[in-house]
Amino acid sequence: MDLLPSEEQSEIIDTVNAQLEADFDLHALAGQDFSTNVLDDDLWQRCAELGWFSLGLSEADGGIGYGLAEEALLFERIGAHATPGPFLPTVLGAHVAAAAGDADLVTTITSGACRVALAEPEPSADDPHRVRVTDHDGAALMLTIGERDCVLRSTEGKQFVAQSSLDPLVPLAVTEVDRDGADVVCRADGETLVLRATVLFAAELAGIARATAEQSTEYAKDREQFGRPVGSFQAVKHRCADMAVRADAAIQLTRLASLAVQAGHPDARFQARAARAVASEAAIDNAEVNVQNHGGIGFTYEHTAHRYVTRARLRAAALGGRAATLADMLAADAPS
Amino acid sequence: MDLELTAEQEAFRLEARTWLRENLPSQERPPEGAEMREFDLAWQRTLYEGGWAGINWPAEYGGRGLSDIQQMIWYEEFASADPPFTLNNSCTFVGNNHGGPTLIVKGSDAQKSEHLPRILRGEVVWCQGFSEPGAGSDLAGLSTRAVIDGDELVVTGQKTWTSYAHVADLQELLVRTDPDVPKHRGISWVICDMNSPGIEIREIRTMSHVTDFCEVFYDEVRIPLTNVVGDLNDGWRVAMSTLSFERGTAFMADQVELAATVEELIREARERTGPDGRAMIRDEEVARRLATARAEVAALRAMTIAGISRTARTGMPGPEGSMIRLFHGELHKRVFALSLDIVGPEALRLTPVDGEGNWTGKYLQSFAYTIGGGTTDIQRNIVGERVLGLPREPKPAA
Repeated sequence: MDLLPSEEQSEIIDTVNAQLEADFDLHALAGQDFSTNVLDDDLWQRCAELGWFSLGLSEADGGIGYGLAEEALLFERIGAHATPGPFLPTVLGAHVAAAAGDADLVTTITSGACRVALAEPEPSADDPHRVRVTDHDGAALMLTIGERDCVLRSTEGKQFVAQSSLDPLVPLAVTEVDRDGADVVCRADGETLVLRATVLFAAELAGIARATAEQSTEYAKDREQFGRPVGSFQAVKHRCADMAVRADAAIQLTRLASLAVQAGHPDARFQARAARAVASEAAIDNAEVNVQNHGGIGFTYEHTAHRYVTRARLRAAALGGRAATLADMLAADAPS
Repeated sequence: MDLELTAEQEAFRLEARTWLRENLPSQERPPEGAEMREFDLAWQRTLYEGGWAGINWPAEYGGRGLSDIQQMIWYEEFASADPPFTLNNSCTFVGNNHGGPTLIVKGSDAQKSEHLPRILRGEVVWCQGFSEPGAGSDLAGLSTRAVIDGDELVVTGQKTWTSYAHVADLQELLVRTDPDVPKHRGISWVICDMNSPGIEIREIRTMSHVTDFCEVFYDEVRIPLTNVVGDLNDGWRVAMSTLSFERGTAFMADQVELAATVEELIREARERTGPDGRAMIRDEEVARRLATARAEVAALRAMTIAGISRTARTGMPGPEGSMIRLFHGELHKRVFALSLDIVGPEALRLTPVDGEGNWTGKYLQSFAYTIGGGTTDIQRNIVGERVLGLPREPKPAA
């Protein structure tokens, strides 16, 4: 039993980090919003070549052959850099295609030829089939994650009504899924995929919690007032300590959950949901406190602190949000 | 990263489970006095005879020489065996978790061979003499004096918040042996015989009505210099190693027991009805708080395993342990505050701090968890300064 990344896993983290720092530097993105295409096809292609979309797929399915644990480490880093783009539904989409036995579709997705957007049910009174879609730009497919199954649908011919998005780097739109399922490309049953999605969202949120804790700590060391670094004052120091604790809770539980789901442990369902609950709260709390720790500069659009606030809100709202996560957790089997 | 237990660890778990089923006492722990001491020591002897004392202590001092993972497995098995008492609420706590581990790291061979086996065999009760009326969070500001006279120290002063002093045989005692140097450099860590002439003990009643919390007065108490652990005037460093154990594995039992408590509370919430006649668990607020608590104890366990993994690689518990202490202390209080919102009118009836159910006593006792062993405010300083590297609070102008 060991929850620390192995040497090989640390290398994955370092490689991913180097790529994210080179291509998704948050400070370089400062001031940009979704009207600027920060994630062009070349960049997407490069991520595919690095194996990000096939990291956790078995070699038999055309993947690299790592597991959910390594995928979760990738998404921790994606969260930490507030990286825009439909990485999570694309990675899951490849798993859905693999589970459905559609090898060609797996290759299409993992080669970077096809992005997958995330579609979440948002029914209204006059439109029960309405879905809310993030990152639909350039996505030929969209993924819905249900209670017990995941469905990949074609976006061809669909009308996307653009919405004003809370997250400046993530386009938001609404559309409809076909009543008769004519848009379904493939479907995979089984809870494993849903648990994988749950863990990956937790990982991205845990990464946000960790990055905001670090950003606040660095700022508290540098910023001076009253002739000394503000981090020497307990009011600020204690907030930073609480942020570090929340981040650690989220990171460690998410890593444990990734292993439990990967190994098919009896308490996997509970651990995955618990990780998402803890990571959602840690991400939102830390992102909010991070703005406060930066004072006036943290309130500006130029600064990156608000990126984490809106990204945390967006990711925490996925899969039915906090209420759905917590409601499931008392029903799940006791942790063992 | 992996979650799997080795075959040896799996076997250890089964062995522990079987042994606990056959040997766990069914009677409740006497709440005070000589009976309580005898109960705690008898359980320690039973553990020793069964091979469950000092699981992660080196074999040369009578321990089993096993890993922290096995220590955790043992706590998990104990907590799920439905015990009528909690592990850390015992007068054997300081010997097993403070005094003993400190001697293992800092004691002389003579000190180790004299004391360690007696702790494990349940022959002796240790207590802690760290805090003073004028030295709480500022522990290094302690003023209990020890003057060298021949081959003895002569100690005069006062200690406080000393649990079980009235039933203890020995004490880990911090004294000032050099008042003329900066405060951290003039402290020594000594073993004090609690039956020495000149010691007076007064019991203090806590808000949870327990009276084993004590203050201890020293009037020219003579302690042999051979009882100094580590070097004279190096007691601060010795004390810090004690505290690093406290942040490492000492509270693992509490952390594991808290998970069992949350499961017990979920059962309570299913069985009890609220004023509207529905099961308490149907109350959305109660359900969400319970679900959150269940998730948070899972996070606590993951942090504990990560801490064990780190210690296994470095050999010593690191300052990250303070993060677990901080998270656990506050979570512990939240869980017991929630319990009173679930048990209805029983929340108004005082119970003892030990034993199944007994939520109000445990609620009152829970306040100790963000104060004892360094307040959560001090824990936040430690996390801020030693884990995150933030600058220390400036010294006030003289």
